[in-house]
Amino acid sequence: MSGCGWTLAEVRPVQAGKGKSDELSLYTWTNYVDPPLVEAFTTQTGIRVTYDIFNSNEIMLATFQAGKGSAYSILYPSDYKVEEMIELGFLSELDHTRIDGLSNILPQFQNSAYDPGNRHSIPISWGTTGLIYDADRLNPGPEDWSFLWENLDKLERRITLLDDVREVMGATLRSLGHSYNSTNPQQIKQAYERLVTLKPAVASFNTDAWKEQLLAGDLVLAMVYSADAVRLTKDNPDRNLKYVIPKSGTSLWSDTIVMPKTAPNPEAAYAWINYMLQPSVAAQITQRQYFATPNQAAYDQLPAPLRNNTSLFPPDEILANSERISPIDPKILALYERYWTLLTSS
Amino acid sequence: MAGQSPPLSKQPSLDTEKVLPKWLEPLFLLAPAGIWLGLLLVIPTLLIFELSLVPNIRPGQVVNPSGLDNYALIFDDIYQKVVLRSLSFAVSTTFFCLLLGFPVAYWIALIVSKRWQNLVLLGFVLPLWTSSLLRSYAWITILRPTGVVNSVITLLSSMTHLTLPPLDILNREPAVLIGMTYSLLPYMVLILYASLEKLDRRLLEAAADLGATPVQTFLKVTVPQTLPGIAAGSLLVFITCLGDFVNPELLGGASSMTVARLIYNQFLGATRNWGFGSALSMILILAVSIAIALLIKYGDAVPKK
Amino acid sequence: MSQTAIQNQRSTATDTEFDVELRKVYKVFNGETAVRGVDLGIRRGEFFSILGPSGCGKTTTLRLIAGFETPSTGEILIQGQRVSNVPSYRRPVNTVFQSYALFNHLTVWDNIAFGLRLKKRSKAEIQNRVDEVLKLVKMETFAKRFPVQLSGGQQQRIALARALVNRPAVVLLDEPLGALDLKLRKEMQVELSNLHQELGLTFVMVTHDQEEALSLSDRIAVMNHGKVEQIGSPSQIYECPQTPFVADFIGDTNLLHGKVEGAHPEMLWIVTDKGLRIKVKRAGDGHEPTSGSAVISIRPEKIHFSLTPPSDAVNCFEGRLQTVMYLGTHMHYLVELVSGDQITIMQPNVMHNPPSVETPIYVSWSPLDCLALSTN
Repeated sequence: MSGCGWTLAEVRPVQAGKGKSDELSLYTWTNYVDPPLVEAFTTQTGIRVTYDIFNSNEIMLATFQAGKGSAYSILYPSDYKVEEMIELGFLSELDHTRIDGLSNILPQFQNSAYDPGNRHSIPISWGTTGLIYDADRLNPGPEDWSFLWENLDKLERRITLLDDVREVMGATLRSLGHSYNSTNPQQIKQAYERLVTLKPAVASFNTDAWKEQLLAGDLVLAMVYSADAVRLTKDNPDRNLKYVIPKSGTSLWSDTIVMPKTAPNPEAAYAWINYMLQPSVAAQITQRQYFATPNQAAYDQLPAPLRNNTSLFPPDEILANSERISPIDPKILALYERYWTLLTSS
Repeated sequence: MAGQSPPLSKQPSLDTEKVLPKWLEPLFLLAPAGIWLGLLLVIPTLLIFELSLVPNIRPGQVVNPSGLDNYALIFDDIYQKVVLRSLSFAVSTTFFCLLLGFPVAYWIALIVSKRWQNLVLLGFVLPLWTSSLLRSYAWITILRPTGVVNSVITLLSSMTHLTLPPLDILNREPAVLIGMTYSLLPYMVLILYASLEKLDRRLLEAAADLGATPVQTFLKVTVPQTLPGIAAGSLLVFITCLGDFVNPELLGGASSMTVARLIYNQFLGATRNWGFGSALSMILILAVSIAIALLIKYGDAVPKK
Repeated sequence: MSQTAIQNQRSTATDTEFDVELRKVYKVFNGETAVRGVDLGIRRGEFFSILGPSGCGKTTTLRLIAGFETPSTGEILIQGQRVSNVPSYRRPVNTVFQSYALFNHLTVWDNIAFGLRLKKRSKAEIQNRVDEVLKLVKMETFAKRFPVQLSGGQQQRIALARALVNRPAVVLLDEPLGALDLKLRKEMQVELSNLHQELGLTFVMVTHDQEEALSLSDRIAVMNHGKVEQIGSPSQIYECPQTPFVADFIGDTNLLHGKVEGAHPEMLWIVTDKGLRIKVKRAGDGHEPTSGSAVISIRPEKIHFSLTPPSDAVNCFEGRLQTVMYLGTHMHYLVELVSGDQITIMQPNVMHNPPSVETPIYVSWSPLDCLALSTN
């Protein structure tokens, strides 16, 4: 092994357009695949769709970088990953002349901090991080993050938090009045120390496995993403499940569609982007998968109960308090990770 | 290749096999396995080793090995704790697998009639055909506070009018041990079975003949005779436990960080410190290699001529 | 058969004392009867062999005594105690296994000490007795070795030592020399015999090697198809077989099938199926047939032949020499009689010019040298 240096996990730009013209390969989140919509797309365009599924942005990027990147024409990264992938130079610049309906996107999503002007990404859904609880077992319920620390005695081993260092540390920072994205080592340490006191209440850190346990009554409360919470609530109308967005603010996230520079079939990718931007398609996604849509025209098509669902579309004052998770310096990130290891190994 | 006569040979020979020099023949035979091992084991391991020498390397950065900083990191207190937890999971699981697996393997190898042996063995190994993730999820359903075990306890309490305490072990260490033991027991049983099956039954008769009760025969003959199998089975279980992150993650709750999960976090977590992840992996590879080397050297307790 | 056994005893004071007794023992495995009604009495201090072809039930009989099998019906007594339901580890017997069954994870010394340690003997006693028995089997220098480092003959000695060191009432030997080559086997036979005399223990040996049984044993039980055919001293078994099977199995013999033509208190006249009229001296042991079918057994070495008709013409028949086989110390002749019966003859190698094939010759034997056996 020589020391002359090679680039770790370099994605080589392959000549684009190598793929078959009637095939589109996607790499997306579990819940984003809606078979009726995929079938309708194939009927409309004659393009067959194949897809692979990931369950975290990090796995998506690692798989992409490990060499599978050139297989996909469309990826579904979250906001902060878009920023990172733009920096790494993986994403191709979108030709807005080939995209219809971009103007339907709400202004705040057209000019996001992570990708101003939608040069590389099209937002297709957004949501919040919050708390779901069983109102039959926990009354009164939470209004803010601080509820967790104030009711430690009632919550012993009956809550779960997301298995995500940034979300958990961010929420705790927020409960202390700091930014979700704090880079101040003092504040981060303070947040860690506050989390340690919450440990007796935490059954586990997980992003998916809480559902069954909440329904079974083993848990009374879980820190979750809004889409998962709304879906579980809708699927179990007989249960008194409630989703709360903490008053002091939370994280806002959005998932986007991007086209990597290595896309084998840009034609099909543009067709997919245009299809997803159609108001009726976007509205169907919200109705079936419970992701809030950033598409104003689609929002207008939604039935009133869904439009007025504050779990899906929270009021502006909550949004004003909330932040996106943004990429931070690796040195600070290492500090987060170190506290996370401490927290989960003690 | 061997079927053609060599056109350039100075002394034309009828024996075409002589075309290959003697030393070349084994090389040809070893080539497929050698290439396989080289491409899929040696080179990747060397790459991991190289990465482990670069502090804080992330994907997209230039690999420039510069020292052992990543290895020094491992001696940090917080990682010591993680290592100790991993070891304790692995040791305990090995112990329980041995404790439960030996009687089962003994029963299948020495007591079940030959006709049923394979069927019983198959039945025991059958759970391996399902995904390990699924099996861990099944244990969540069984062990959780309102799960199968606690429903049975509640039922028993109401039937016997005793107050049996509910079993609250999900998201605690016992749940991890149960999950790991369940996952690895079939391997232990298979290996112990292979060892017990070869056991010379006349040795058991000889021991009884010399006055050993069944228990004494077991301790003084069966166990020593199957020691290589016990060692091999224990090592396999131990190594697999060190690498398992599904069971600790799903069953272990909030305080279940293990070395395998730590490595996973370095590669796929927020920090993506592939250098430190590689160093941790190298340590794990080294530890496992040493254990296997020891097994090969000392595993066979019987001296050779 | 035990009737017979008792009849054949020498009348000494200890005769009534059996170390091992089997009473009407049956053993059935999955519907197959391996042992059918065996009655045996093995006397204290005796070297007793159970001899028979493979599959005759002799090993099962030994395993029943050792306690590795329990009888389906019947009783087993060791030193007067009923042991049918006593596990092997509580029986005062020790076994030398067919291929030794030494513990290969233990040294020679530890193998031998195995039984004594289980009996919680003192360290000093174990040391003394193991050393003593190692000396007895001439293996003192091998104490620290492992069994795999020993030759077959050496392993055999250790297996013996491991049994003998416990001073059992009865030593059971299952084909103890079967795995050794011929020369070694002869040496070990002598040693086994010496050991038996030195120690005065009861030895019960299972073997299919009749020569081994004849040379070592005080008494032999011949088994066939799960039954004891005959029990007796080696000479009784050889000289006075009581069944055609025993006569045929022990040594070589000529068996001629026929019918009893006339019975006399002293003599029997039997006509063979091919028409030979043979005169037999009655042994008076109650085993000869006095009517009906019968088998005549004549040992090859008891038959004489001559080129001219002998003068005393009892049991004398004319025939033709068919083959002559040279066996070193002996000559082996195959003769076809005029009647069509084939007879083998064994003669010491003393003739300088043995007759050639096809020579007409006369064979004869004394009525004392042939036996009439019932065929049942």
